[in-house]
Amino acid sequence: MVGNNISRWTMTYFAMALAWLFVALVLMMAGVGYPAAGIASSDTLVLVHAVCIGWLSLAMCGALFQFVPVLVAAPLFSENWALPALGLLSAGLISLLAGFLSLGGRLPPALWLLPLGAVLLVAGFSLVVVDLGLTASLRPTGPARFVLAGLASLCATFVFGAIFAFALAGWTGPVGGFILASGVPLHAIAGLGGWLTLTAMGVSYRLLAMFMLAPDVDDRQSRMTLATGAFAVGLTVAGGSLAIWLASGLNVVLSIAAVFGLASVGLYGRDIAGIFRARKRRHLELNMRMATLSFVGLAAMAVLGIALAATDMFAAHVGAFAFLAVFGWLSGLVLAKLYKIVAFLTWLETYGPVMGRTPTPRVQDLVAEGRATKWFVLYYAAVWSGTLMLLAGEPHLFRAAAAAMTVGVVGIVREVIRIRRLADVASPLRLPGGAIAPHLLFARA
Amino acid sequence: MTEYIDVDVRPVLRAGEEPFSVIMSALASLAPGQGLRLYATFKPIPLFSVMANKGFAHSEQELEGGEWEVLFTPVEAGPEQAPVAVTASPFGNWPEPAVKLDSRDLDPPEPMVRILAAADQLGPGQTLSALLRREPVFLFPQLEKRGFRWLGGFLPDGATYELTVRAPS
Repeated sequence: MVGNNISRWTMTYFAMALAWLFVALVLMMAGVGYPAAGIASSDTLVLVHAVCIGWLSLAMCGALFQFVPVLVAAPLFSENWALPALGLLSAGLISLLAGFLSLGGRLPPALWLLPLGAVLLVAGFSLVVVDLGLTASLRPTGPARFVLAGLASLCATFVFGAIFAFALAGWTGPVGGFILASGVPLHAIAGLGGWLTLTAMGVSYRLLAMFMLAPDVDDRQSRMTLATGAFAVGLTVAGGSLAIWLASGLNVVLSIAAVFGLASVGLYGRDIAGIFRARKRRHLELNMRMATLSFVGLAAMAVLGIALAATDMFAAHVGAFAFLAVFGWLSGLVLAKLYKIVAFLTWLETYGPVMGRTPTPRVQDLVAEGRATKWFVLYYAAVWSGTLMLLAGEPHLFRAAAAAMTVGVVGIVREVIRIRRLADVASPLRLPGGAIAPHLLFARA
Repeated sequence: MTEYIDVDVRPVLRAGEEPFSVIMSALASLAPGQGLRLYATFKPIPLFSVMANKGFAHSEQELEGGEWEVLFTPVEAGPEQAPVAVTASPFGNWPEPAVKLDSRDLDPPEPMVRILAAADQLGPGQTLSALLRREPVFLFPQLEKRGFRWLGGFLPDGATYELTVRAPS
């Protein structure tokens, strides 16, 4: 009745996500989009959506298809939707990016690609939202509640995105253009702050407690963190929409939302520190040490945001702020957790069937942390330098930082592939009687 | 002093029927603070973790003729609890555990490895019980694939998960 607890397509989502991450890194190295082009340019739109939909959203969906059933101890509503959703999302993203390229004159004019991409993306994300939402609502406590709030934010994000896509194609008349002119911050905050950050927070509570052998964070405590965060996003979306409708400007709404957002980050920091303090497992594995660096990124983001707002330079440096949010906080956390999740799922898939009947390796025997550490360190160092280069207005040095990030990610991905191939497991234990090596790109049913 | 409501499922059991719904409806009719006094033709071990999950501690005594009286006493409500996971009728005649494991201080996934190893050593129909710190969600499918049945739930302290596994008979 609990069913098969290994999600079949999580590895497929991870692989596709990493492919999009490489696309984004190559664009940054090549100087396509911000900072070489303007922050609102079509090239920057290509870059931003390759990162946020292609890399982060697909990686997050892949992780959620595996972990939402674990959070609620029930099978996924429908395992069969995961692959069609991935197909729709990939096709939608390609169409959307082609539409942006056409908008910028890099492709022949074909603006209908934008609404087409939006429709495909909305269809794909809707499958994900319904599938995960119906599963998470079976036991809406603790982390599952964060996921539900994240999914609601995802809906807000794609509704705005779809309106923009139709408006850019000229299919909406003046109303769409009006929303497009001032609604972009709402789209970005709902996506990065609501969907990606709230969901990452929720999943991290359970993963951290599970991997460090700590008690779960008290429900009342995490509820407070979620309430402030969800309020910040909800206020941005609802209050911001109202402000757009009244044409009254977004400053007041966004300022209040920022205060609640900061409070939520502070409460989250308190919760995470509590998990670290209460952990039974004293030794921190690599994924945990690297996740710590992403928490540093989140804290740095809060500090940077306050400093920029206080000096009235937020608008000028919103690119650097977003870069730190996307690569220092979210991508860093996803890469660190992906490293562990792949090892754990590969171990479970390969050795679960023979466990207890024959000696099997430990999860840690699948990884070579010593080798992987340097790639993670290189990645984080490059991200922080890249942020500084953006703040300093040095686009060429930023490209060098992007190149260093790429080297780090190549190293990490190579390690992840070695984990999946069991390449570091010594041979008598590698495939004991009856164990079957896993496929690189999906789990066997 | 706890007031106990009597539920005698011996006639139901002698008739070869399933008494679980009778017990659950009696449970639903309890006033706050009331307990349940259950009479059965055997010691209903799997029921204990189900009741623990619902916030009842148990104490049992054997009556004449191998029958049992069990007192289920309400305890202070713990934190929000996971629903009990079952692949078996919670009212089966399960034997006392042949093996008892305390895996609370083992690093995951070591508890899973130990429980599967111990389960494979069980004789037909034998059971093992294990104490854990969390619901072993990744273990359940492995048990299921090997034909084991299990019952599990958090004890009223809210921090210890008790799992009982029964080998196929």
